[in-house]
Amino acid sequence: MPHEYSNAELEGYLEEALPQDRMTEIENSLRSDSQLGERLADVVGKMDAGVHTLGSIWRRNRLSCPSRDKLGSYLLKVLDSEEMEYLQFHLETVGCRYCNASLGDLTQQHASSDEQERTTRRTKYFQSSAGYLSVDD
Amino acid sequence: MAEFSNPDTLLVEQIRLGKPDAWNNLIAQYEGRLLSFVESRLRKRAASEDVVQETFIGFLTSLPNYDARRPLESWLFSIAAHKLTDYLRREGRRPAVPLSTGDGSSGNWELAGKARGASTIARSGERRGLEDVAVAEGIAGQIERWREAGDWQKIKCMELLYVAGVANKGVAAELGITEQQVANFKYDFLERLRKCVRAQRLNEDIFPELHE
Repeated sequence: MPHEYSNAELEGYLEEALPQDRMTEIENSLRSDSQLGERLADVVGKMDAGVHTLGSIWRRNRLSCPSRDKLGSYLLKVLDSEEMEYLQFHLETVGCRYCNASLGDLTQQHASSDEQERTTRRTKYFQSSAGYLSVDD
Repeated sequence: MAEFSNPDTLLVEQIRLGKPDAWNNLIAQYEGRLLSFVESRLRKRAASEDVVQETFIGFLTSLPNYDARRPLESWLFSIAAHKLTDYLRREGRRPAVPLSTGDGSSGNWELAGKARGASTIARSGERRGLEDVAVAEGIAGQIERWREAGDWQKIKCMELLYVAGVANKGVAAELGITEQQVANFKYDFLERLRKCVRAQRLNEDIFPELHE
């Protein structure tokens, strides 16, 4: 049975921007649905040829994503009810991966139980990448 | 994010000068959200940390290409998304499709099959960037107006249509409005964008959705 995905969703899949459940679902569908693979190739072809889509521009520029501060206020439940409702929509109904990641990070920071673990991670990232730091010519 | 100015410009300038403290600051500021982004997909902590590590290295190696007008967080997430895609391909989780992606991390998708034919409208990256910015500003302006007016319904409606890719009928059901209202919101939104594209003297053919 063919799977129903819009072109906007397939673009989101290619950009690794859909909610993770939907990403996995599309990956699984691609294994059994050759037509879906062809549609995906068509979407890539259009992207490659420079055709713009509003969804792609919207996602890339994160046009409706709240600021980090706003997400913090959402976590603390100090926004007005309409804005709280909108952020909930953005996070849960649209399932914005980036904002959910940021919210997850803020939640962990509020819990502040793994500071040592965080410091260890940051040191590892720094040590493995600092060699690539260089002064521009 | 809607704003186009970049509050991290100074930090990036310091990193360009090779300042370790600045680099440490950037890592401290962004590693948590990047890890959360990657781990939500991989569900494996060690592998996720490796992908984040590659993301930071990727950021430094691509620094000469970074446009400081672009929000730093978005740039880092886009690098993380490419590194994550690479990882999933290596692991065989991301199935082969009729594409050859070249170096996925560079974001240069290459198409091996027939769909590449539309290159008649191919143009410079710089031109495409200008088109992207013009339309992004047009959309951001509308979102800002709706926010100021507390018109959240219209933001939700357009987000479902264009970002989530939901059809008019599904949007109407989700928001508890009629399909006619969805169509009206959509018409107004597209009409303003068309004006924006014309005002910038851009080729409307490269935005096919404007005429749907």
